[in-house]
Amino acid sequence: MKLNRSAKIAFAVASVTALVLGVAAPAVAATRTTVVIVASNALTSLNPGTPDTNLVTNSDVAYLSGSGFTYYDNKKALIRNTTFGTFKVVKNSNTDFRVQYTVNPGRLWSDGTPITGEDLLLSHILSSSDYSKAAGLGDPGDTKVVPAFNAGGYTGVYDNSIVGEPTLSSDHMSVTLRFNKKIPDWELYGPGPSPVHALVLMAEGKTKLGTIAENEAARDRFVKAFQTKDTATLKKIGKVWSEDFNINTINDSTNPLLLVSNGGFLVDSAVADQSVTLKLNPKYNSGPKTSGIETIVFKFISDGTAAAQALANKEIDVYQGQPTADAVAQLKAIKGVTVIGGTSACYEHVDLRVGVASGETDTYNGPFAASSGQKGKDLRTAFLLAYPRDEIIEKLIKPINSNAVVVNSLFTLPDEAAYAKIVGPNGVSKYTAGTQEKRTATALSLVKKYYPSAKAGSGSVKVTLLWGQPSNQRRASEAALVKAALAKAGFDVNTTGTSGWSGHLGESKFDAQFFAWCPSTVTQTGTNANFQSDGGNNFLGYNNPALDTILHSLEVKLPDSQITAKYIQAERLLMADAISLPIFQHPAATAVNSDLVGIKPAPLTPNLVWNYWEWHY
Amino acid sequence: MARKNKKAVETTTQDGGENAIFNKETEGLSQGQIVLRRFVRHRGAMTSLFVIIGLILFVFSALDQKIGPIKVPGWWHYNTEDLPELRSDGCKEGLVGCPTFSLRPKFLGGAGFGLGEHPFGQDDIGRDYFALVMRGAQRSIMVMFVIGIIGGTLGTIIGAISGFYRGWIDAVLMRFTDFIITIPAIIIGSVVGYHFGNLGVGFLAFYLGLFAWTGLSRLVRGEFLTLREREFVDAARVAGASNRRIIFKHILPNAVGVIIVSVTLLMSGAILLETALSYLGFGVVAPDVSLGLLISQYQDSFTTRPWLFWYPGLFIITIALSINFIGDGLRDAFDPRQRRRITKKERESAKVVTKAGA
Amino acid sequence: MLAYIFRRLGILSVILFGSSFILYNLAAISGDPLEALRTSSEPNAKQQILALTRSLQLDVPPPLRYFLWLKGILAGFTGHIDFGKTRDAQLVSSAIATAIPTTIRLVFLATITAIVLGITIGIVTALRQYSRFDYAMTFVSFLMFSLPIFWVAVLLKEFLAIQFNNFLANPQIPIKWTIGLSIATGIIWAAVISGDRKRVWQIFGVVAVANAALLTLLSVTSWFIKPGLGPIVVFGMSIGIAYGVTQLSTGLQNKAALRSAQTMAVIALVLYYPNQWLFDHHAGWLLILVQLVATIGIAFAVGLKFAKIDRAPTIRTAAITGFLIGIITLLDKFMQTWNPYMSTDAVNFRPIPTTGQVNSLLEPGNFWFTTLDILVHMILPTIALTLISFAGYIRYSRGTLLEVLNQDYIRTARAKGLNERTVIMRHAFRNTMIPLTTIMVVDFAGLIGGAIITERVFGWIGMGTLFNKAINSFDLNLLMAVFFITASLSVLANLVADLLYSALDPRIRAGKG
Repeated sequence: MKLNRSAKIAFAVASVTALVLGVAAPAVAATRTTVVIVASNALTSLNPGTPDTNLVTNSDVAYLSGSGFTYYDNKKALIRNTTFGTFKVVKNSNTDFRVQYTVNPGRLWSDGTPITGEDLLLSHILSSSDYSKAAGLGDPGDTKVVPAFNAGGYTGVYDNSIVGEPTLSSDHMSVTLRFNKKIPDWELYGPGPSPVHALVLMAEGKTKLGTIAENEAARDRFVKAFQTKDTATLKKIGKVWSEDFNINTINDSTNPLLLVSNGGFLVDSAVADQSVTLKLNPKYNSGPKTSGIETIVFKFISDGTAAAQALANKEIDVYQGQPTADAVAQLKAIKGVTVIGGTSACYEHVDLRVGVASGETDTYNGPFAASSGQKGKDLRTAFLLAYPRDEIIEKLIKPINSNAVVVNSLFTLPDEAAYAKIVGPNGVSKYTAGTQEKRTATALSLVKKYYPSAKAGSGSVKVTLLWGQPSNQRRASEAALVKAALAKAGFDVNTTGTSGWSGHLGESKFDAQFFAWCPSTVTQTGTNANFQSDGGNNFLGYNNPALDTILHSLEVKLPDSQITAKYIQAERLLMADAISLPIFQHPAATAVNSDLVGIKPAPLTPNLVWNYWEWHY
Repeated sequence: MARKNKKAVETTTQDGGENAIFNKETEGLSQGQIVLRRFVRHRGAMTSLFVIIGLILFVFSALDQKIGPIKVPGWWHYNTEDLPELRSDGCKEGLVGCPTFSLRPKFLGGAGFGLGEHPFGQDDIGRDYFALVMRGAQRSIMVMFVIGIIGGTLGTIIGAISGFYRGWIDAVLMRFTDFIITIPAIIIGSVVGYHFGNLGVGFLAFYLGLFAWTGLSRLVRGEFLTLREREFVDAARVAGASNRRIIFKHILPNAVGVIIVSVTLLMSGAILLETALSYLGFGVVAPDVSLGLLISQYQDSFTTRPWLFWYPGLFIITIALSINFIGDGLRDAFDPRQRRRITKKERESAKVVTKAGA
Repeated sequence: MLAYIFRRLGILSVILFGSSFILYNLAAISGDPLEALRTSSEPNAKQQILALTRSLQLDVPPPLRYFLWLKGILAGFTGHIDFGKTRDAQLVSSAIATAIPTTIRLVFLATITAIVLGITIGIVTALRQYSRFDYAMTFVSFLMFSLPIFWVAVLLKEFLAIQFNNFLANPQIPIKWTIGLSIATGIIWAAVISGDRKRVWQIFGVVAVANAALLTLLSVTSWFIKPGLGPIVVFGMSIGIAYGVTQLSTGLQNKAALRSAQTMAVIALVLYYPNQWLFDHHAGWLLILVQLVATIGIAFAVGLKFAKIDRAPTIRTAAITGFLIGIITLLDKFMQTWNPYMSTDAVNFRPIPTTGQVNSLLEPGNFWFTTLDILVHMILPTIALTLISFAGYIRYSRGTLLEVLNQDYIRTARAKGLNERTVIMRHAFRNTMIPLTTIMVVDFAGLIGGAIITERVFGWIGMGTLFNKAINSFDLNLLMAVFFITASLSVLANLVADLLYSALDPRIRAGKG
């Protein structure tokens, strides 16, 4: 004890000495030039184009370090990046549709090599199954052997409609693509630039940046291999493309050829599973001018609460996620932090089963079966009428995004231009008219037609509901609300949770299911697969030839007004059949250090970073 | 330091006196009575025992229960399925569903003494949080007992057989124990959740119990290995007792202390295991509720709606703490070498007794 | 003995084979790896499902797929062990290679702290059985036992990181806090040093006043922003250490030991400024290693100088003293680094982080900055892990020591007139350590499996995170690799513990029972 006290006194003396000797230096913080963004998953690859690496952080990093012809803005509009290049339709017929893409002269890769149309050719290899097969690179549809370019882009619209190979213009600055029809949303399927010279050099075993002359020679070797379908060379390049970019540690010993790109920022370093740091690209001229940010860091924090606390502690500048209401309240309470509410591209909807889903072998005899004719239809209508959509939004979504609204269209979302024209004529008013009490009363009377003894709480119609992972708190709350609300209309909803729910989507033991679709692009045919009789995402066993005809007619590029008209027709059919109702768009919250200007969260990929050039402090 | 030494020495010199106190106390009592008496004197353990019994009665009678076809109404006016309106009166600005529980009397500006409509507040959609916490506590207590009973039984049987028979039976059983130890609980949770998620929490607890006995079985085995060499076992054997009789009548009663103590530890561990699994998403799943699920769902609420975070946490801590204290009391009670604290008065009177005796 | 070890190892590999087979199959049926793709509205979702099925070999039934995995592991015998690739195309072996050091860094310090604290408190409570302190510690340890770690983590982050960093903006301790903290400290010390009522009040008063004075001083001097000890305080603490170590190691009556310990403190004072110069000009782990060696060398010399007979205890005392003084000196250096560290752009006056292992913005190059950075990132997880695990050591060491103290040989030792220090330190403590050692070995191996929840809440990417990630994304290769390593370690640790036990306790023979 004695010692302890004397130690403390000595301690005090020393502290006084420290005070006398030390003069507190005033803290002057220079203008920040760094943005630290929370990412929920770690960087696993610099190439998000393979099926294994198609992850959010990989894509964001790739977007920051690579500029192409187009990007999505925060209003879901596809913007043309005319600084990089231009494209135009050169032949417009129903069987021969051609688009020419031209790179502006003088655009540079980060190693100083000029970008040309030849750099656009790799895109074709990555999306065309025919090319892959013809060049001996493997059949992407094979269930055993991985193709040389293990790309995630095969069998899409491009693959199905492309004719031949892209042709280079005489000055090598343009390529022309030829499609067998006027494909819808053709702007989306244009090529993107790839530093093919770096790929070639790596395939040849180089580990240092080449001179410009060497690089151009390497590119010529690529073009030759592409045109002559030189299997051996292409396979080597394919191996580099598919595997060498899959790194999560980047430092001085990383092959600099992997980091060659043309975006505003270059990957500078990465600590495995911790963070990735990007620095301003001094040679950047492929997109809009940047505004003063010099470093962008992605820090990986998977736990939402942890991320919010890190923001409160000013370890990070930007946090985007789908937080809970409490997390939003907490974020709003942090001084110096601005919370931008918004929506993500995902929207929740409720679906009712009418038959056996394609690919399933069971039978469906539930209350909603199409085979029971009017009864099934009435019960479905009753179910959707009594579905507490307003209550769900009021209690679960508004606390996170105070601007949230009930979604009333199956084909468009409130943040799209056509939405206002579609809601109303699409027949949704049946489910929005009056108050919820009135709708529930209507529903109960529909149920009474078949179950005369039905009343609130009678549980006359037994329905089994499939919903998301039981650990998902919001979904669990939704299910609880649904159960309570439907009980008032005479339904008994079984809401027992099902782990691994998505594997059960087609199973006939579930009469109803709610979950979300998360489109990553806005396309004319985006919803087709959900409702077409043979659609890959039609889990309901829904089969309506009239609807199929309408959806089929959407598979050719149409003017906007016609698209809207077709959407209205299709939705009328769906609403009348009481198959599905949208509920809400998933709320997203972005919390930003208030000093940081220019963050405009966008619902589509690359969500947050789409306008990185506008950011500044 | 010096002072401490002196005191310790003092204590040792009093050993004779203390022994006298204990000897006198335990005169003419059976082992069970001695244990009971020692346990009753352990203040922490007795308090905890009352707390846990009270808590179980309180929690299980709160909500409507279905026992077979009979529905027993609970004393609380809400159930977990009820969806009352979210109330906002009396809450801070911007908050809804705050607790109505108040200890501040009216004349101090409070709402008066009482529980109110929703003592623990309401969750996001308006469900009464008190009812949810009660249901969660029921589930957690159930998990605790199921794991305790299954793990305890398996551990005792396997440990006893292993320690008693030794030889190859022991080797096989102990390697089997090693085998079970290597399989992580979280895997069991996720498999059970995926395939049998809708069979309820009892099922999960049952499965976890099947994997929770390893530590106990090692302890029991060790105890049996020592006890089977003791004279009373030899005596029983000479007298012609069967193995079965020796195990159940002679060794088990002597090992029961170790067993009970580690079962209580197993139980307090079980409640935390359930919490951890629920936090990771592999434990109790919605629409069912457990305390672990509640705190992991509302860990974000800490600064905004703290009641959603604190109440389930306090219940977990109370239950686990009580069980631990009961275990401690049992350990002291069963251990013949452990002594309770001697009060000054007893010591004085003992001195008189020993003097008089000498 | 060797035969016994080999037999055990043989059995262990059979166990590992069996449990890995079971685990592989359990994990394979625990979910749907294609979940996300099934609800994808991408036009080429089918192709992506095909590609994933192809790369994960999902068309092979799990029991057979297990043997494909096993083939890679068995290749280890030829030196090319192959753990395969993760679902996001990383090599599993490299993921594990970065995770293991992280986990060790996380659990090592926490375990050491928990053991030292736990055993110390356990011993004190055993020696003061049924004292106020004993009751208080029993309660505290049971309370710690009962806390869910993520619950603790949220509280720690709020109060020790966010609030503390806010406090640093204006490091004045409010009067309320000064009073509250002083009273609390007073109560704690009064409880530890028990005595009659008068003495308790005395202790309470002295401690509370001293504490209040200290806090006020720290507050006025902005010590939290510019901390430091300086040569005088370092010397004062060194003298304290010299007395304390001598008392525990040999007893104060051993003059030679006391002298040499005191000499170590004086040497440390003399070398204070040279050391500072070294710290500034030759910073690095090499320097610290050299200094460690030098300290032991000096201790040896000093011990030889003062002790004429029975030199070992004296040298030991001097060495331990030197080592602890070295730690104080380092601590002092880190305190001096604190302010420049805080002022860097990367830290921006918010030094205590809530997540992560390192501050990736910090410019590398400055040894003291980077080391301090690692240390501050370890603060919260270490506290959290220590809090929940040290209670076990308190209970265990208390129980064991009480049992040992009741043994006949302790009675004999006392009866033959040994002083209490010798009885406790030499006879009781050493025998207490035997079962504790084996427990520690097993515990430590278990912790390599990672503290799943701790790593998750504090954003560390260790083995626990990998395990959790593997389960959530049905990444069998990753899961099996983590399992393989942790399970091997834990069965090996059990073997080591058994061997250790038989080595330490002559009554037990390995291979029997």
